Amino acid sequence: MLDIRRISTSRWWHKKKNWLFFAIFLFLVFVRISKGSLYKDFYYFISKPFWPGQFQKEVILKSSEQESLIKLNLLKKDNDRLREILDLQQSSNSDNISAAVISRKIGSWWRQIILNKGSKDGVEIGSTVVGPGGLLGIVESTSLFTSSVTLLTSPESKVGVWVDRIKINGLLIGSGDDSPNLILYSDDIDIKVGDFLSSSPASTLLPPNIPIGIVQSVNNSLNSKKTAKISLLAKPHLIDWVQILKVNVNE
Amino acid sequence: MNKFIVKKSSIICFVFIPIIFFWHPNWLGFLGIQPYWPLFWLLPWSMINGSINGVIFGLFLGLILDSITLDNFTQIPGLILCGFWFGRIKINSDILVGHFRYGLVCCLGSFLCGTLYFLQILFKNFSDSTFLLFIPSVQNILAEVFLTGLFAPLICSQLLRIFKYSR
Repeated sequence: MLDIRRISTSRWWHKKKNWLFFAIFLFLVFVRISKGSLYKDFYYFISKPFWPGQFQKEVILKSSEQESLIKLNLLKKDNDRLREILDLQQSSNSDNISAAVISRKIGSWWRQIILNKGSKDGVEIGSTVVGPGGLLGIVESTSLFTSSVTLLTSPESKVGVWVDRIKINGLLIGSGDDSPNLILYSDDIDIKVGDFLSSSPASTLLPPNIPIGIVQSVNNSLNSKKTAKISLLAKPHLIDWVQILKVNVNE
Repeated sequence: MNKFIVKKSSIICFVFIPIIFFWHPNWLGFLGIQPYWPLFWLLPWSMINGSINGVIFGLFLGLILDSITLDNFTQIPGLILCGFWFGRIKINSDILVGHFRYGLVCCLGSFLCGTLYFLQILFKNFSDSTFLLFIPSVQNILAEVFLTGLFAPLICSQLLRIFKYSR
């Protein structure tokens, strides 16, 4: 009878391939823990030539430089006056960071945009992102060169809002489509189509008075709650440039 | 150099999946929704390399995609199950049958991944207002299933040919 012995070279740890898989696995765990920052920075570099409005931005900057010396004082005075009227004393232009949208996922459940400014530019997690129209979302993670923003339409998004006409706070939650839902925790509230929503003065996440959206439709009351669909003022699928507000609302 | 690219084509394609995920080409979408890109790579890879490799690379893909999406939900279970299932499918010699089968298999895989993801969202946000998530989520799943099934015959057959050639 042949004595069949297990050959030592057949052990799994003697196979180079298994160690390679293990190394790849460890690397991917690192990527996962670092929230994909390597990938995001890699994408930053390869997408750089395709960023929106590079040429237009240079033209605008050049012409604005020529005019700025003349208009600076006038604009500053106007700006101060308007900020006083709009109650925006907490923020100033020096607190804002302009950023371009280099990737956007606005369909399905993953509703996020990636901006070309990251932690090296001073972007912090929790910063508010606004675009033409109003609030877009909140910075959820940053890498060295990029920052990722959870949009208001994401199922993960929950922000406090203020309904100006009836002077009441509500909760805006994303539902995975383009119109998030407003939840008001009382069923006898007289909310109407066309009511305007802004960020809540009571919110600890957002600066107050940032325009958000308009009530699109009101649903029937259920379990002593009233819900409404909101049409957002800022359209993430059209916006190429945004402002990151570095306002610390807790101060 | 060319030989290297041909030989490593499967890994090069693997690296580019998250890039397409970032790129999110709107002109390929429907209702703002994209096909479920990772399945296009996972199907031919698993069919050639078997279930074990399918499971391992399903896990790898899930880890990468989870790291680049902001949500606290995971795509790993769906991709692992798909990797295992795709590995048990034999390559059909009939080109026409094979093409249609890629579409059907990817449709079902996309439905499975989408449903598992949706269940996680439901589980986490379970409350009285859960019903608000239903209609948009069903729409998301169906649009994704349709697009994945539509593009799968075109992309999977090409990738299968490339991966076979690179072996």
